[in-house]
Amino acid sequence: MSSSDTPTDDASGAETTPDTETASTGTPLLAVEDIHSYYGESHILEGVSLEVEEGEVVALIGRNGVGKTTTLRSILQLTPPREGRVRYRGTDLVGMGTSDVAQGGIGWIPEDRRVFSALTVAENVRIAVPKGSDVDAALAQVYETFPALEERKAAEAGALSGGQQQMLAIARGLVGENDLLLVDEPSEGLAPQIVADVAEAISAASEAATVLLVEQNLPLALDLADRFYVLDNGTVVASGDTDDVSAEDDDLRRYLTA
Amino acid sequence: MSVLASAGAFASTATLAPLQLGDLFTVEALSSILLDGLSKAALYALIAMGLTLIFGLMGVLNFAHGSLTMLGAYLGGLVMVTLVTTTTGPFARLAVFFVGLVVVFGLLSALGGALEVGLIRPLYDRPPVYQILLTFGITLVIDELVRIVVLFYGLQPITEWQAALGTKPEFLSGSFTLGPVSVAGMDLFEILLGALAVGAVWAFLTRTRYGLVVRAGSEDAEMTEALGIDVRRVFTTVFALGAGLAGVAGMLLMWDGNWGASVPLATETLLPAFVVVIIGGLGTFRGTVVAALVVGLADALTQWLFVNVVDFPSLPEMTVFLILVVMLVIRPQGIFGRAEVGGH
Repeated sequence: MSSSDTPTDDASGAETTPDTETASTGTPLLAVEDIHSYYGESHILEGVSLEVEEGEVVALIGRNGVGKTTTLRSILQLTPPREGRVRYRGTDLVGMGTSDVAQGGIGWIPEDRRVFSALTVAENVRIAVPKGSDVDAALAQVYETFPALEERKAAEAGALSGGQQQMLAIARGLVGENDLLLVDEPSEGLAPQIVADVAEAISAASEAATVLLVEQNLPLALDLADRFYVLDNGTVVASGDTDDVSAEDDDLRRYLTA
Repeated sequence: MSVLASAGAFASTATLAPLQLGDLFTVEALSSILLDGLSKAALYALIAMGLTLIFGLMGVLNFAHGSLTMLGAYLGGLVMVTLVTTTTGPFARLAVFFVGLVVVFGLLSALGGALEVGLIRPLYDRPPVYQILLTFGITLVIDELVRIVVLFYGLQPITEWQAALGTKPEFLSGSFTLGPVSVAGMDLFEILLGALAVGAVWAFLTRTRYGLVVRAGSEDAEMTEALGIDVRRVFTTVFALGAGLAGVAGMLLMWDGNWGASVPLATETLLPAFVVVIIGGLGTFRGTVVAALVVGLADALTQWLFVNVVDFPSLPEMTVFLILVVMLVIRPQGIFGRAEVGGH
């Protein structure tokens, strides 16, 4: 694990990044460069930088309230950064609309699932299928991956169990034909057996898409991810390969306890 | 002496009418109440549908909805008096009405879309009170503009635009007799048109991809946006649709002798629309339709009672608001409402 000093003079760092750094062979799929994001006047992200290469699973870990979800929201432009850049395939996303970001191939599996509770399971999947794509094929793919969802396909999503709702949220991300999936706390509030199923689903998803995974469950995060970043107080304080650390690592655990 | 005899100032106006309460349970009375209630329900549903769609998706309480209905009544009336002459036959008048309906829907939709893009969109990130004040301001502007125009052209001699009412085919002014039941032509027409409009919106919401997007956006606009759907564009479409539906309601009211095209129509329709939307559950289409039925039938029942059993015809006007008060006490979120709906 290596500690990374986050630059405090973020604006200068961001502005000196050359614009010509476009999609070349060495360009990461996603490069978050020194972003500063706020809720109102509260400064949440204080210069977060991270990179995700195509095909990777990268975990973003840290305790509650350090800015993990805000990082994902900033990438999606739901909470647009006031400073810094978010480059996806070399293109800066800052200033774009969220729907344009999503159409570019970035999917979101949010915290608390956020399935459309008044829509049926099938409708939840259908709305995530891009316009012009084969809806029936997408539904068949989902039902093959998650047989439990086929049994409840006509049920309103609000009537599903927490685990089933998480499956549905993942399914929605899968049928979106996304190249990058932002997965936020998928194990939160789920029973251990269900967490194993969810881990399997994310693992399956990672075969089709690159994954940036926000997770407080350290063993799960390290098991699924190739690399990790540790976030604390709105900055990246550590990063490394998951092969080099264990869930018992005291340095890592220190960042996950209050 | 009636029980109302001791009710203070009301007592002097309350007298016993020829019918007794038992007369309610006759085929004639029940069918009359049912048809009257369904026609009122159809009007309430038509007036309130646009309002509930807009609130459900966007979280905007559109106080200008009544004014859009009033505009629809005048524009529809204008189409009718322009195209209908004394020699125009009844079915040709009906055909002109449906052409007018399309024109009014188109014009009001365009106006609604322009209002959303130009005035309401910049306020989405502000507290709801800004949108309420804005739409209330739009109401004042539209009402005043219409008042100026109708007075300038002498279109409103008393309170209603009689010329527009006069374009109605005769068979809609009269009644039909079906066995023991007498049915007003206009009641049937309103029930038919209301059912068609409800069916069309229902089909749009449940059978089309755009309707699916509207329902998803009503529940969680942010998540819908994150699925690659431009929710702002959907907002504009739904606001336009809501305004168009208000226009359709206005055009129908233009032919109804109890309403007619008049400037006060804006307020007269806005209040029951809000009542129906609140009783049904803010922002739920299903709730609005059910609430329109409940309010329409209750309104018709009390009207029958206070006209035929207790001679106090002005009291039923309060029925709608009494139902609202009861609902707010026992179930504040409405029949199908959830704790939180709408928003962006």
